[in-house]
Amino acid sequence: MSGMTLAPERPVTAAPARSTTGWLRNPWRKPRFLQAVTWGYLVWSIVPVVIAIAFSFNAGRSRSTWQGFSFRWWYQDAFDSVWNDPALRSAMFQTLRLSLLTMLIAVPIGTAFAIGIDRWRGRPATTANFFMLFSFVIPEIILGVSLFLLFSNLLEGAVRLGTTAQIIGLVTFQISYPVIIVRARLLSIGPEYEESAMDLGASPTQALRSVLLPLLAPAILASSALVFADSVDNFVTVRYLSGPASSEPLSVKIYSAARSSPTPAVNAAATVMLITTLTAIALAWFVYRRITRSRGEAVSSAGLADF
Amino acid sequence: MHYPRWYWGSFTLPGSVWLAVFFVLPFYVVLSVAFGTVDPLFRLPLPVYQPWWWSFATFQTTLEKFYAGDRIYFDPLLRTLMYVATASLICLVLGYAVAYYTARHAGRWKGLILVLLISPFWISYLMRIYAWQSLLQPDGYINDAGGLFGLSPVIWIGRPVTVVLGLVYGYIPFMILPLFGFLDRIDQHLLEAGRDLGAGSFETFRRVTLPLSKPGILAGLVIVSLPMFGDYYTNNLLGSTSTSMYGNLIDSAVGQAGQGPEAGSLVLILVALVMIPMLYYLRSTRRTTEAA
Amino acid sequence: MSGHPRERRTGLSRREFLRRSIGAAAVLPSASAILAACSKPGTDAGGNGGETGSNERVLARPDNPVTLPMKGDPIPTDTPIESGPLRVYNWDAYFYKKVLKEFEDEYGVTVEWTTFNNMEEGIQKLVAGQVQADVFFPTTDYVSRLVDGNLLQPLNHELIPNLEANYWKVFSDPGPYYDLGWRYTVPYVIYTTGVAYRRDRIDDAAAAAAGYELFFDPQFQDAVSYYDSYRDALGMMLLRDGVTDANSDDPAAITAAKDAILQMINDNGARLTINGTYAKLPEGEFSVAQAWSGDIVGAKWFLPKGTPEDVLGYWYPPDKKGLVGNDTIVIPADAPSPRLAHEFLNFFLDEHWGYINFADWNGYQPPMTSIVPDRLVEEGVVPESLSLAVLGEENFTLGYLQGELSAEADALWLGAWSEIQAGG
Repeated sequence: MSGMTLAPERPVTAAPARSTTGWLRNPWRKPRFLQAVTWGYLVWSIVPVVIAIAFSFNAGRSRSTWQGFSFRWWYQDAFDSVWNDPALRSAMFQTLRLSLLTMLIAVPIGTAFAIGIDRWRGRPATTANFFMLFSFVIPEIILGVSLFLLFSNLLEGAVRLGTTAQIIGLVTFQISYPVIIVRARLLSIGPEYEESAMDLGASPTQALRSVLLPLLAPAILASSALVFADSVDNFVTVRYLSGPASSEPLSVKIYSAARSSPTPAVNAAATVMLITTLTAIALAWFVYRRITRSRGEAVSSAGLADF
Repeated sequence: MHYPRWYWGSFTLPGSVWLAVFFVLPFYVVLSVAFGTVDPLFRLPLPVYQPWWWSFATFQTTLEKFYAGDRIYFDPLLRTLMYVATASLICLVLGYAVAYYTARHAGRWKGLILVLLISPFWISYLMRIYAWQSLLQPDGYINDAGGLFGLSPVIWIGRPVTVVLGLVYGYIPFMILPLFGFLDRIDQHLLEAGRDLGAGSFETFRRVTLPLSKPGILAGLVIVSLPMFGDYYTNNLLGSTSTSMYGNLIDSAVGQAGQGPEAGSLVLILVALVMIPMLYYLRSTRRTTEAA
Repeated sequence: MSGHPRERRTGLSRREFLRRSIGAAAVLPSASAILAACSKPGTDAGGNGGETGSNERVLARPDNPVTLPMKGDPIPTDTPIESGPLRVYNWDAYFYKKVLKEFEDEYGVTVEWTTFNNMEEGIQKLVAGQVQADVFFPTTDYVSRLVDGNLLQPLNHELIPNLEANYWKVFSDPGPYYDLGWRYTVPYVIYTTGVAYRRDRIDDAAAAAAGYELFFDPQFQDAVSYYDSYRDALGMMLLRDGVTDANSDDPAAITAAKDAILQMINDNGARLTINGTYAKLPEGEFSVAQAWSGDIVGAKWFLPKGTPEDVLGYWYPPDKKGLVGNDTIVIPADAPSPRLAHEFLNFFLDEHWGYINFADWNGYQPPMTSIVPDRLVEEGVVPESLSLAVLGEENFTLGYLQGELSAEADALWLGAWSEIQAGG
């Protein structure tokens, strides 16, 4: 066939086009169309957010028409800026509180669950696994409404709507993330490392602690970052389980404001959420790098894909 | 066997107990609310926990609103199915293209593109949709851009196309990353073998790459479409009552006096609806993990 | 039992009583409630049906005013003022933060502000005890039910002298029809519900001629806003059809109103909003909007730079026979700081602060004797073009007040509304 080169050792990136049909048939040509689509998608995906951040510095109260640059909505406005509005300020702290506590609860439970489910066979294991996966794909509104009904009726005396209920809801919704991520990592690790450790005389717990957990570190870190980021963003479950105003995090405030008349202070608040998440991810990334570097492992793209 | 039988089981205990109390038990409460009643004064939902006193009247009326009489719930359900199907399809086509390019052709840009692809996971969903809400305002940049081409401003908020694209925008990252994972792991040599045997690039794609990525496509479709069934916020932020979805039915019912049992019934019906694709997905993943 | 106002006697059902009386023990209440529930929830111990209770309730109407039963005694006048915080439970953005700040400074307390997005949600959370508040702002149709549910405490009039001093007589003597003798409520703001429009797209004469038909005018297709609130939405269409009972329980009338709204949405591209009047109309996105009078007065703060105030217009039946209503302020029975709450009420009822809240912030008029239409126009609070948005005492005698609906009527209204929300 014309235009077809010999099977190369590595793809020839710039095969000279001798004819149009040759160019079309060349399996190693650069896919311009796909390239355009991909970069187009990335622009479509990210640019609106950049614009939204930019508008948080808008001088006027519009979030769609530029009216000049100002820090008004960040700290200058005496009542409505993110810094001065006590409602928004307490919302920021509530976001942090919820996300940290959720991460601290969900990741250990989820990791333990993943380890157990990976090794344990039998009917109860598949049932437990089923419910875990179910909680992963279920539409969040179902979870939010059911927990709302649970806490406003059956467990009314025990748990009031508010921070406790919100954390419980968040953990329930997020718990499947660490399970899935750690489980995937476990599948690729295999049991050999622990078995050799135990052959060398370690007890099961010792093998777990000194062999398995370090191997799982990237997955655990990744799921911590994900759970944190997701909790910062969550508003469906959290909104249903809110109690007094002090329990409303930024996400709920932004959602309510977006439905009525948002000012650029909302943009600023959302940017704060963004910075929080970014910081958490960056922290997790740095910890990951230090762990893997101290153990001399190369940072593979597979690990990155986990992350 | 080094381990006692209960060793690994005990690891799953905290997670299982948690799910039992906060995932399974709430379903029972939903049943009790759906088949319960309302208090006479404020008409707040009053759950009935004893199954022998359950009343199925409200559930029946709710179900009938889908097919009988005025069928007022029929349109939202149909709309939801259409929006989810359309949005999932767009996610698949667009997502596959992006994942494919990134996995196979990105070369030295791969790392950067991956970082950018992951970014929606840590930029909050709210902020992304809110950003679009601003752009789609009558005086927003989209209309401004249209103005450059001589188009008069369009009311974007409230149109079905806006809601569908909003769904795509919100959920497509969940399609791209699993697909990328799959495509990235397809062995280069398999493709070269196909080529050696005489297949053109399109045929190689069709007969080698596509079948190999089927599990990834399936996973992506499920992860993307199932949550969409319960979506109500995209519609609240970008739509109107004419584009209301199933999730909006639940959301309104939860807030209204006297509609507690109806809200519970709607939740139960939704669970039933998503149960079938969910079970199918779970069975297929179990098969693949057992094969692994 | 002593009948102290703070004691929350429920009187709903035996199961509720058991649940609440066993205190905060974690799992115990629900377990014992389930075990001990010999009677079906929603009924009383005698097994009588729960629904019949609501039929025995008296619905307050202007021609049938109601004196609410005294559930306990008001707090004594010499109760010391608590140190706060004062918990306020209100609509979003409904109260001027500056006035709150002044209150905080004067009394040395902090004010915590919890919001609800709609009245049903607000009531639900309050009734279920999920929100604790010192001050709550219900609409008039809930007052009687809140009292029946033992959720409000009677007010100590000696601590709130400003009501009689500054407000329209009708609210203190004899008191509003829903609360004769103002045992539990003071009025917050009053408003009419009419039709707002852009005077640069419709002239006043044409608007006055069309009235409620403006919503259906194809000239304004896709530029019509209507309230996402079922009482206002259906109520106005009922009026348009000539049904003057704003609390109608006539299924045919309600269905006709519902169909009118659906027609407006489907044929004329109308949209249900809450911010359509005060935010979107001045920005030009809408030409016609259903409007509470306070919304159109407050809209001037959302006008883009350079747009004159008189671009906003408001139509209301000139004979004052239109929808009119008011909000109230109440003190919940279990308020942690009731004395402070009384101070707050009195503070707000002060001529100066009540006026500032209205003139500088939300545009909703408090029924103060010192606020007269001429003064408002003179001081530039309300432009001449919005003179119909100012209320006088006669609005209350001539207008149609929306009050509490019976359970059956409410079911009809809500059924119609959920059909509209489902997209028709």
